[in-house]
Amino acid sequence: MKEIDARGLACPAPVLQTKAAIELEGAVDIQVTVDNPAAQQNVQRFMESKGFSTRLDSEGGDYHITGHAAEGAAGAPTSAAAPAKRTPQDEHQRIVVLCATDRLGSGDDVLGRKLMINFIKTLKEMGPDLWQLIFVNNGVKLAIDDSPVLDELKAYEADGLTILVCGTCLDHFNLLERKKVGTTTNMLDIVTAMQLADKTISL
Amino acid sequence: MVFPTDDNVLVGLNRADDAGVYRVSDALALIQTVDFFTPVVDDPYWFGQIAAANALSDVYAMGGVPKTALNLVAFPGQSMDLAVLRAIIQGGIDKLKEADTVLIGGHSVEDQEIKYGLSVTGFVHPARIRTKGGLRPGDCLVLTKPLGTGIINTAIKAGLAEDRTIERVTRLMAALNRTAAETMAGFRVHACTDITGFGLVGHLAEMVAGTDIGVRLHATAIPLLEEAKTFAAMGLIPAGAYKNRTHRQEMVRIGDRVERAVADVVHDPQTSGGLLIGVHPADADALVKALQDNGTDAAAVIGEAQEQPKGWIELE
Repeated sequence: MKEIDARGLACPAPVLQTKAAIELEGAVDIQVTVDNPAAQQNVQRFMESKGFSTRLDSEGGDYHITGHAAEGAAGAPTSAAAPAKRTPQDEHQRIVVLCATDRLGSGDDVLGRKLMINFIKTLKEMGPDLWQLIFVNNGVKLAIDDSPVLDELKAYEADGLTILVCGTCLDHFNLLERKKVGTTTNMLDIVTAMQLADKTISL
Repeated sequence: MVFPTDDNVLVGLNRADDAGVYRVSDALALIQTVDFFTPVVDDPYWFGQIAAANALSDVYAMGGVPKTALNLVAFPGQSMDLAVLRAIIQGGIDKLKEADTVLIGGHSVEDQEIKYGLSVTGFVHPARIRTKGGLRPGDCLVLTKPLGTGIINTAIKAGLAEDRTIERVTRLMAALNRTAAETMAGFRVHACTDITGFGLVGHLAEMVAGTDIGVRLHATAIPLLEEAKTFAAMGLIPAGAYKNRTHRQEMVRIGDRVERAVADVVHDPQTSGGLLIGVHPADADALVKALQDNGTDAAAVIGEAQEQPKGWIELE
């Protein structure tokens, strides 16, 4: 853990020290201590711009910002680590919906398929809190040419939602050529997205 | 605190405004203002120009014409080359010439840190004063310079701004608000101010605080320097911007869809920023076109005054 004491320093000095530690020293776990709210917010913004997940602790008049590099952060960010377009404000949650099926619930498959269509169409009610939608296993069938919700998913993607589709699963079902929406992804991206998320909902 | 006053004080300290105004006769009032600060750019000649443009701006924002100016100088004459001071003052003089304003005196003190600015006096007809008050429901808000100079100055201090960015923002800060002021004189302008240290939201707050009016801003319509968005995302935001935001947060509502960088830039303290003009809605498009035709390229309608919610600034 790289530790920086930037107390007593005015902006932009705390950001510059953080920048040097990440870019020059290659720090992936870092804690920066500052003593004013402007420096705190600036250091946190900087870490996030580098794809770091951050945590803030206050102690007296001091702020400790702890940053952890997501996979591939300082270099080319992966889709999971890239700053989320749909979460421009701090107050938004990052919700990941992991969809491992093309039908919702068990019992009646016809009903299950109908419910899933309705579920996907209603997901937009989460607003900007919905961060990523991930399809694995049978769920990838919702992202192919004959999906009943293809138009809805395309609209979500155009609106900035990250949609990830499991490449191994597409390959298994021989559907690689028929995928029409989302980014083909791997398990590392999926796991990283879950780690960065405030909440993961799996179906 | 009670300030001395008399019947000829048309704009004084009882309500925040850009400058004081004193009636000399029914046809003439004096506008008086003073402003000085520490260097915002490394080049002394450009610093002098920026300081002068900034000091003159308050007269333009009141709808007046600047006439005379006095220099205010603090300089470490013992330790620094006097050529630096000469360059600063030359910058000021050249900017005053551009404003057809004469320099008739000044005062200097020895100081560890360089400071430069001017006291400027201007003329205005008492019936044509443009104050911060006077906004009416439906009025359109027109901004004449892009925002983001505070953030970019922070990036310059950090050594992260490219030369062409430095040059662009320097020219922007040194640009007079003269053309904008002369252009707005031909339209039904109800209120005007210039954007400086309190940022767009802070100066708007002075326009609406304690009045029967609120304003709505359109985030995507606000002209801003692209680089400022990038630097804001990197955390190169001056402490003053955070202070501005905290100070006014109880009268500001920022919508969910507003890009975070824009929500930062609206609080960014500006050096020698543009005019913010409240104009009759029927005149707004023509004013913007006239401003653009006169070289004020960034001019845009950024929002409007509304009856409800009173005293609020909404950014959507």
